[in-house]
Amino acid sequence: MDFDWDPEQRAFRAAIRDFLSAHLPPDWELQAHGPASQLQSAFSKRFCGELARVGLLVPHWPKRWGGRDADPWAAFILAEEMWAAGEPRGGQYMNVNWIGPTLMRFGTEAQQQRYIPPMARGETIWCQGFSEPEAGSDLASLRTRAEKEGATYRITGQKIWTSYAGHADTCFLLARTSAGKDGISVFLLPMDTPGIIVRQIPSIIGEGDIHEVFLDGVALPADALLGSEGQAWEIARTALSLERVGIPRFALATRMLHRAVETLKRGGRFGQGAVGQAGIARAACEAARYYSYSIVDKRRHGKTVGPEASAARYATVMAEKLVSEFVVEHVPESLSGGDAMLLAHHQRAIVAGIASGAAEIQLNLVATELLKLPREPR
Amino acid sequence: MDFELTSDQEALVSAIDKLAQRFETKPTEFHGFALVGRELEEELTEGQYFDVARVPELGPLAAAMAVERLARLPCTAEIALSMLLRPHLPGEWPRPLGLIEGGRPGRFVAGARTVIAIEGDSVRLAQPAAAEVEPVESLLAYPMGRLRSGLTSTPLAGVEAASVRKWLRVALAAEASGLLQAAVASAVEHLTLRKQFGRPLGTFQALRHRMAECAVLAGGVRWLALKAAATADDGDAALAAMHAQESATRIVYDVHQMLAAMGMTLEHPLHLWTYRLKALLAELGGRGGQAMAVARHCFGASA
Repeated sequence: MDFDWDPEQRAFRAAIRDFLSAHLPPDWELQAHGPASQLQSAFSKRFCGELARVGLLVPHWPKRWGGRDADPWAAFILAEEMWAAGEPRGGQYMNVNWIGPTLMRFGTEAQQQRYIPPMARGETIWCQGFSEPEAGSDLASLRTRAEKEGATYRITGQKIWTSYAGHADTCFLLARTSAGKDGISVFLLPMDTPGIIVRQIPSIIGEGDIHEVFLDGVALPADALLGSEGQAWEIARTALSLERVGIPRFALATRMLHRAVETLKRGGRFGQGAVGQAGIARAACEAARYYSYSIVDKRRHGKTVGPEASAARYATVMAEKLVSEFVVEHVPESLSGGDAMLLAHHQRAIVAGIASGAAEIQLNLVATELLKLPREPR
Repeated sequence: MDFELTSDQEALVSAIDKLAQRFETKPTEFHGFALVGRELEEELTEGQYFDVARVPELGPLAAAMAVERLARLPCTAEIALSMLLRPHLPGEWPRPLGLIEGGRPGRFVAGARTVIAIEGDSVRLAQPAAAEVEPVESLLAYPMGRLRSGLTSTPLAGVEAASVRKWLRVALAAEASGLLQAAVASAVEHLTLRKQFGRPLGTFQALRHRMAECAVLAGGVRWLALKAAATADDGDAALAAMHAQESATRIVYDVHQMLAAMGMTLEHPLHLWTYRLKALLAELGGRGGQAMAVARHCFGASA
């Protein structure tokens, strides 16, 4: 067991930081920092293009698709540095982390040729069409239908709380091809297909992040199906295993906590109450960091990642929550025009326990699979 | 960054685990607070395990793993201070060590050959004669003791005192990590076996979620303890002790609540872990003290 970074890992992190200081405008966070605004989406395409040109967009992808087969540590160090910088890749982090690799595994040659190169060049945005009004955590109850009509699938239904849908080129869509849990399939849906209506949902987390997507008899050619009919759970499990570590939210949370503490120190306000809470929050961030590292390490050694990934995710949720609470209590002016970066972080922090599966679902997984507590009756 | 154990670490962990397995059960007739593991201590002495941190291939990280494993036992012995702090004392000081803060009763003081006395900013070391210390009855599950009178002691210089505080924090976190894991496991066992309303308690989501949160917290304490032992960094030590005390505050309450009436008895072993955690909660100024250390070492605050 070794807690030191090796020289290659250090060099990689330094290269990312050098790139960020050269290519991220100093005021970018004040201009474009935010989940999915028009400005941020446009910025992410320029920025990811530059990342791609220097080999920092998809280093962990196979050489065939523009990567260099870098290990899971490289992917995570990259994610950590990007998130700490406010995630200038915007929604493209999803392409890099799991959509691209999932297509590599399940896509046809034609699907791969069509969709993977634009991701590797950093010029395309995807959204994930999972949640529905009646299917949030209980995804298996989704109702959007995909009915086969000759060589076409006709898709009818509604998706909701869809991030990036307003600016996405393609949707990774789950729809029902038959009844039951095994009747769900994955479709690759170009968002300019006729019959799609996207409506922005006003949200706490900022302009343009979440949407409703209405699908009114959208006609898709049969080759838009990913894998085979009913394969959605298997594909989702793969996608999930690629995304198990989750977003390294602790990285930005730590940075924002330090920023808030610096504000307090400058104003002579870093007194006893703030010191106590800052210590608790800082320790929680560090715990989340090493929890996450332990998952990356398992993947690096080719081990199966189990429920400890849910524990890591929950540790991150707790850390994000503590930092948010610290800012609200000790730097309240940041929520009223005082500090745009703390404000943007606070807006997004609410997402931590909700997106990518509610935190309570993670707790259930920890209880059943890690603690081996008896299952709840259904 | 690589969390696979080296072959030396693996060998130590497995040897400690084998040794520990013989001490896993609480004697049924024991209904006290501090279950002192004399035989355990003798075996650790015989195997020269108290000095593992001085072995270059093992170091403090492997010692922290041993401390954590042994803290999961229902019995206690002066292990963490010897394994993690003693190698960093200036000169040779005999074990076992006892710890006194602010003149209050402290852990292992009555049987200590070396006492670490902390008073405000000062840290002093002393070798008390048997007549100079005495045991104190306590609700805490460590053998607690106090000084009968003032001791002839050696004050430590600022740097040495800071090092003692740092390794005390590492020792506290590593010990707490093992205690927390054992306490959580004990509550999980109860929730699995105990049935109410016709089903195991562990099927009720209100309890499942609380236990899952406790488990996540305990796991975090373990990572920070190991990291602090590995890096020997003041900030890492402060964060590890901070997270240990903060998490223990929450978990100690919750695991007793999970056991309900059983958690009030001295028949069930839960208190052997939780009432050791209560002793650790107060050390080095408790959470407030750790927060000050985090402020100094991680936030660069001069306060």
